[in-house]
Amino acid sequence: MSVAAPAVSEHGFDAWVAHKRGRRINNWLLVAAALAVLGWCFWDTIMVDTDWARMGGALGIGGTLERFLWIDWSLVPHLIVPALETLMMATLGTLLGCVLSLPVAWFGAANVTPSKYFFYPVGRFLMVLSRSIHEIIWALLFVGAVGLGALPGILAVAMRSIGFISKITAEAIENIDPKPVEAIRAVGGNQFQVMYYGIVPQILPVIIGTIIFEWDINIRRSAIMGLVGAGGLGLVFFRQMAMFNYGGVTLVVLAVLVLIAIGEVVSLLPARP
Amino acid sequence: MTVVTAETVAAPRKSWSRYRHPEATIRFAVMLAVLAFLGWSIAFLNIDLSRVLGAFPRLAEILATRYFPPDLGYVTDADFIRSVIRTLEMSLLGGFLGVVCSIPLAWLAARNITIGRRIAYPFGRFAIMGSRSIHETIWTILFVTVLGFGMLAGTLALTVFCIGFAGKLFADELEAIDMGPVEAMRSVGASPLQVFQYAVLPQVRVAFTGIAIYTWDVAFRAATVVGFFGGGGMGWYLKRTTQQLESQRVAAILLVIIALVLLAEIGSGWLRRKIAAMR
Repeated sequence: MSVAAPAVSEHGFDAWVAHKRGRRINNWLLVAAALAVLGWCFWDTIMVDTDWARMGGALGIGGTLERFLWIDWSLVPHLIVPALETLMMATLGTLLGCVLSLPVAWFGAANVTPSKYFFYPVGRFLMVLSRSIHEIIWALLFVGAVGLGALPGILAVAMRSIGFISKITAEAIENIDPKPVEAIRAVGGNQFQVMYYGIVPQILPVIIGTIIFEWDINIRRSAIMGLVGAGGLGLVFFRQMAMFNYGGVTLVVLAVLVLIAIGEVVSLLPARP
Repeated sequence: MTVVTAETVAAPRKSWSRYRHPEATIRFAVMLAVLAFLGWSIAFLNIDLSRVLGAFPRLAEILATRYFPPDLGYVTDADFIRSVIRTLEMSLLGGFLGVVCSIPLAWLAARNITIGRRIAYPFGRFAIMGSRSIHETIWTILFVTVLGFGMLAGTLALTVFCIGFAGKLFADELEAIDMGPVEAMRSVGASPLQVFQYAVLPQVRVAFTGIAIYTWDVAFRAATVVGFFGGGGMGWYLKRTTQQLESQRVAAILLVIIALVLLAEIGSGWLRRKIAAMR
């Protein structure tokens, strides 16, 4: 039969069916492998590692949850200053992050970098480094370096913001329209004028959007800085947790939600026409 | 009444300025307000600017003197490697559960294809926004309080984190689909589930896969510190060594975290590029 088979079927329906079948078997194998890995994860994480008896069953969990529901409203006046601190930490951290990400973006943008072989990899590495270390770890490092207070929180938030802001900025610089730059060069503009009139107006809208987006994220980040020794709402959260005042904990979480909502409203303002 | 001639109408403005009245005024007012808030913040938080500048040399000095020879023997210990594997497990499981839960929520929270604008849409949006607004470490602490220490709490915290993270991206993706197939399905009387399965899902399958991989990448980054608050995994080692001031061990753990996160990022980037090429 194989001898008599027409040459057409090599690209014909049979080949298509065989190809599809091969792909389907491949897909099933992939799904089976993924399910096996997930099943093993589930077994190891949920079944082996969890002490179900100690949890106290549904009644014990329900009892703990109930204590979270009695919200301790008497704490509200004590939350205003920490909430303001959190907001300020986020704002100053974002600002410092922007300032620090300027040189990183300059190094890491392929078309304006001072040296393709030295500064470009350095800039790229700094971007990855900033994003790969969690803000809690940055905060721990800075608490060790500058002591307790709002400052380590600001620095941690700033360091964590560098990666995202400078990555987007570098991409924006790489994607600019080169014509205005050439025009300014052609009429004799110096390096600064090229940057100020040729590059900055093109990337400014992207950068402002990115900064506001990052500020919004930084509010939630600075709300936890208190857990490792920087002030703000995180410190109140930590204290309420240590006192087992679960109603107060719920209130702090609600305060964070309110701050985020304020941040959302503010960040929508510039988008308005 | 003056005679309107062609000259008076088309007369160009004599002086051109970059600063036109309403826009420029509003812009300067906003900038002024932001600057005032920044100044007030610096005063309110009592920030010594010389300490800000001194922080980086000081950090470098501390890293060089106390953290420098990283105790690599500590991180090649079998127990530590086991905790790294558990971190990976938590991120995989949390990412999977989060993605699975966030797809229906994103469906509710996408304005164009939601099943009900009155109840379902606000519910979906609120669920995603709420999961997003609270930081993953706070979720970890809450789950640890309710369920006790261990990987279950960490996994659930990562799940909630992934719901917030992936849900928003999924919803954005769903809102950008082509509505033609959806309307065609609706007009022949398909149920919402059928519309989702045959008109929506084929359009977003590739994008969703990419987002799911990216979610795992971010979840892994978060999973490295979940243990710091009792959620299981390598974060617990970080907490112990930090509190015992064993800086050289902390340095070794940090190096491991950076290396793993880099690997995860490279791996997920490669996978996402491959999947994008399949489109």
